[in-house]
Amino acid sequence: MTQAERPALRRFTRHEYARLIDHGFLDEDDPIELLDGLLLVKEPQRSPHRTAVLLVAKAVERAFGEGWLVQTQSPIILGDLSEPEPDICVVRGSPRDYVDAHPTRPALIVEVAQSGLRLARGRKAAAYARARIADYWIVNLVDRVLEVHREPARPGPARRHWGYAAIETLFADATVTALATPSAAIRVADLLP
Amino acid sequence: MRVMASYETRTRRFSRAEYERLIELGVFQPGEPIELIGGELMVAEPQGVAHYTAIVKTAKALEAAFGPGWHARTQGPIGLDDDSEPEPDVAVVPGSPEDYSRAHPSRPVLTVEVAESSLAIDRQRKGSLYARAGLADYWILNLVDRVLEVYQEPVPDPAAPFGWRYARREVFDASARVTSLAAPESSIPVSRLLP
Repeated sequence: MTQAERPALRRFTRHEYARLIDHGFLDEDDPIELLDGLLLVKEPQRSPHRTAVLLVAKAVERAFGEGWLVQTQSPIILGDLSEPEPDICVVRGSPRDYVDAHPTRPALIVEVAQSGLRLARGRKAAAYARARIADYWIVNLVDRVLEVHREPARPGPARRHWGYAAIETLFADATVTALATPSAAIRVADLLP
Repeated sequence: MRVMASYETRTRRFSRAEYERLIELGVFQPGEPIELIGGELMVAEPQGVAHYTAIVKTAKALEAAFGPGWHARTQGPIGLDDDSEPEPDVAVVPGSPEDYSRAHPSRPVLTVEVAESSLAIDRQRKGSLYARAGLADYWILNLVDRVLEVYQEPVPDPAAPFGWRYARREVFDASARVTSLAAPESSIPVSRLLP
């Protein structure tokens, strides 16, 4: 079936998503995240994926240091239709700053992707770009590279979707520096399982 | 939880029981045009003047053709299977409306979709779903070409979206007459269905 023949799916707002959780349709352990109103099933957590998540969390924690909080697989709020749970995201402050509401403006989002690579590059990149996330990295386990996505933009009237204008692929021997911490370089090799 | 692997994006599927509970709980707005199709919550085609007129005319013509003991439901839910509750534009079922005050009917003898922008979905996705449920007689009133497409004889087909399709397809123009499998005595002019 071609894309054009796909039916339009009912989109959920964050409020409706919260009601689904309240009524027990979803629970906190379900591998589901709300992205652009769609209840997306997350990539299964195989051990390389899990290992990469831990490695990235450790490396970015070291690079960002004091005053930053590194969340793993926790919800963030990006508008009325999106409450994704990125593998890693870095926000300002400490855990108690987010007692009443999920963080909304991460300085860095990292997704680890194997079977979910198309999703990470496609729908997720579009949603993050639309939310003006300035720094979005994909740890690509298929090719063992880091894809650094920057400069969120909406290219030309011909393409309605948001995306990243600058995408760089870094191999294991390279280093990467988050936009928010220009002085702390991270070795890509330290992020790969 | 079931997921379908054929899409780039896999979304959470709902069972019919979950869907009915979501409606009871008021999670959806009343009158929201959604249908549960193979676990997916589909938004129905917006309804234009011609679409609505075609539904009213078709329901009227089918009630006349089937006679007493049958009635035509318009955009009413059908309890098709464990993960589908479509709302076909017209569905002919035995008995009277009161017979379905406790549960939706599950096997209409004739199912009709009126199609403008939804033509491809009605042919492929819904056609495959209805064939899988064994619905013997499925009509698409095609407003784009002003013809009636009649689908019969469900057969398995692994390439179809739900693993089934209709083996027989006939197309009738406005000058033709058509007969439903369940009411073989009465033929209906196609012009009486078209808006």
